[in-house]
Amino acid sequence: MTSGDRPFRWRLWLAVLAAVLTAVAIAHPRVPFERNVFRYFFVIDITQSMNVRDYHVTGQPADRLGFVKQTLAEALFELPCGSEVGLGLFTTRNAELLFEPLEVCEHLPIITDVLSHIDWRMAWAADSYIATGLYNALRQVGQRKPATRLVFLSDGQQTPDEAITPPFMGKAGEVKGVVVGVGGSQPMLVPKLDRENRQTGYWENADLTAPEDRTPTQQFEAQAIPETPPSGFYLSRLHEDHLKRLAATTGLDYLRLNRAEDLRHALRSDKYAEPQRVQVDLAPLLAGLAWLLLIASYWRMPRLRRPAVAR
Amino acid sequence: MTNVGFAMPWLLLAALSALIPWLASGQPPLRYSSLTVAPTDRVSTLIDRAVRLSASLGLIALVVAVAGPYRREQTVERLGFGAEIVLLIDRSSSMNESFVGRYLGGAARETKGAVAREILTDFVTRRKDDLFAVVAFSAAPIYVLPLTQDRGAVSAAVRSSTERGHGITNIGSGLAMALDFFEGRRKGGARIILLVSDGAARIEEETRERLHQAFSDTDARLYWIYLRNRTGVHLDAPPENPGESTTPEYFLHQFFQTLGSPYRAYEAENADALRLAVADIEALENDPLPYLEKIPRQDLSTYGYVAALVFLLPLLASRALEVDRWRF
Repeated sequence: MTSGDRPFRWRLWLAVLAAVLTAVAIAHPRVPFERNVFRYFFVIDITQSMNVRDYHVTGQPADRLGFVKQTLAEALFELPCGSEVGLGLFTTRNAELLFEPLEVCEHLPIITDVLSHIDWRMAWAADSYIATGLYNALRQVGQRKPATRLVFLSDGQQTPDEAITPPFMGKAGEVKGVVVGVGGSQPMLVPKLDRENRQTGYWENADLTAPEDRTPTQQFEAQAIPETPPSGFYLSRLHEDHLKRLAATTGLDYLRLNRAEDLRHALRSDKYAEPQRVQVDLAPLLAGLAWLLLIASYWRMPRLRRPAVAR
Repeated sequence: MTNVGFAMPWLLLAALSALIPWLASGQPPLRYSSLTVAPTDRVSTLIDRAVRLSASLGLIALVVAVAGPYRREQTVERLGFGAEIVLLIDRSSSMNESFVGRYLGGAARETKGAVAREILTDFVTRRKDDLFAVVAFSAAPIYVLPLTQDRGAVSAAVRSSTERGHGITNIGSGLAMALDFFEGRRKGGARIILLVSDGAARIEEETRERLHQAFSDTDARLYWIYLRNRTGVHLDAPPENPGESTTPEYFLHQFFQTLGSPYRAYEAENADALRLAVADIEALENDPLPYLEKIPRQDLSTYGYVAALVFLLPLLASRALEVDRWRF
C-alpha cells in the first residue's frame, strides 16, 4: 500500500496547471503580433452644392455634407486603435489640411468635434475645380508618411464648368485611396444660404458669374465653354462619370456613397491597411485556458477507477 | 464603481461557471461500507464549503480578469499656471513668401509659414498647462480645433496649418471666430489670441464694432506676431503715403490699439525675432489656470489574476491532500 501505485491524480494536476497559468498571466507576457491599421486623410468638398438635400436615409442628415460628416464620424469609431486620421477641406483648387493624421482612439473626441464643425462657410472661395483640387490633395498626401491614403469626398459638381480636364502630372497609383461620390443622380436645387445658415432661396443660373480669378489659359478655355443658360435654377447632381474618370487617371478607387455602411466597410478593407507590429498581451489567453482546465477538473468520471480497484 | 469598465463585458456571462464547484464535488468518490456509520463532522463540512467557495471565487476572478476590467480615463481638476490661447493663423498666399519677400514656392523651408510653424510647434509643446485652440483664416475663418489640452492634436494642427496658403486675408471674421471660443466659458487663466499674420488685411467698419464689443465681453488679450517683410511697413512709424490699400498693416495696428484690451504687436522680420516674440509672450502669461489633468485608463486585470491565484490555493491544497483509499 505505498503511494507509488496511486492512480494518476489528474484533478490535482489540472488544478496545478491552472494555477501555474494564472501565475504566468500575472506577469502579462507579450508576443509581437501583426495587425492591420489605417492612415487616412479625409478631404471633404465643402462647396455649396454639398448643401443639396438629396439623401433619404432615416436617422441621417439629408444634405450631402451633413451625411458625409455623420457617416465619417461613424466610420472613425470602427477603425482599429493605432489607425490615424487627418481631415482636410476642399474648395476652389486646393485641399486645405486641418491637422496631420492623429491616432484615432486617443484623439477621437477632438477629431469628431472638428468634423462636426466642418461647414460650407469655411470655404475660402465658392468655385470648385474638382480635378485640380484632387491633384492638389494627392500631392499633399504624397508628401506625408507612406501608406497615407486619400479619401476624397465630393459630388463632382464643377463650378464653373471646365471644358478640358487638366492633365494629371503625378504618378497614377502612387497614393492609394478612394474617391467617394456623394449625392444622387437626380439634378436637384442648390439651397442658397446666408452667413447665418438661413435659407434665402435657391441658386439660379443668373447668380453665377464668370470667376474673376482666371488665368490667361483659362480665359482662353472659357471661350470654348458654352454659355451657361442665364435663366432657370442652378441644378446639381452627382457627376459620377467625371469622378470615376478622375479616379481612374489618378489610380484611386471609386465608391458611391449611398449608405453609411458602404464607406464604413470600404475603410476597413485590407487594400488600404498597413500592417503594424503590436505587442499582444497573452494574459487573457492563459487565464482563459486556466479557467477551462479548472472546469474540466470537476468532470465526474467515477467509473474510471473501478478496474484499478478490482485488480 | 461606475468608473470601471470592461473591454469585453459579455465575457462576464462565463462567471456562471462559479456554480460548478457547488454542483460537483471535484473529488473522486470513495467506497465505504456504510455512510450512516460515519458521524457528521462539522469541521469537515466547513472545510468542504470553504474549498468550494474559494474555487468558485477563483473561477469568477479568472472570468472577470479575462473580460478586461479597466478604470476609465479620469480627469482631475488641478491648478496650473498658464493661459487659454487661441492660435489665429493666417493662411493667405502671402505667407508662402520668405521674410525677405521673395517668393520661394511651397517646398522652401524658410517661408514665413514654415518658420512660424516650427516656432509655434515648439511653443505649444513647451507650454504644458495651457489650453490651445486653433483657427486658420484666409478669406473665411476655419474652425481647426476647439480649446483643448490634447497637445498631440494641437501640434498636428500647427504642423499642417502653415501649408501653402491661398486667397485673401480676412482678419476680421477670423478674430470673431477666435473670440467665440471664449464666449460663455468660465474664465480661468489669461485669455490670449495669438495672431500670426503678415498683415495685408483690413477690417470692415461693421466688423470693427463687433470686435470691440467681443473683446470687452470676453476680456481677451491680443498678441499680434507680425511677420514683416524687409520691405514691409513698420507698425509704429506712420508710413509716408498712408492708405488702407497700400499699408493696411499700419491701420490694423491703429485699430487694435483702440480695442481697449491689452494688445501688443511684435514685428518679426526673421526667425530670431519671431522666437524672441514668442519667448516674451511666454514670460508674460502665467496666470493661475484651473485645468483638467487626465489620468489615463488603467488596466485592472492583474488584480483579477492575483485574486484568482489566491483563491485557487485552497483547492490545490485540498486536492493535494486527497486520499484515494482508506488506510487504517
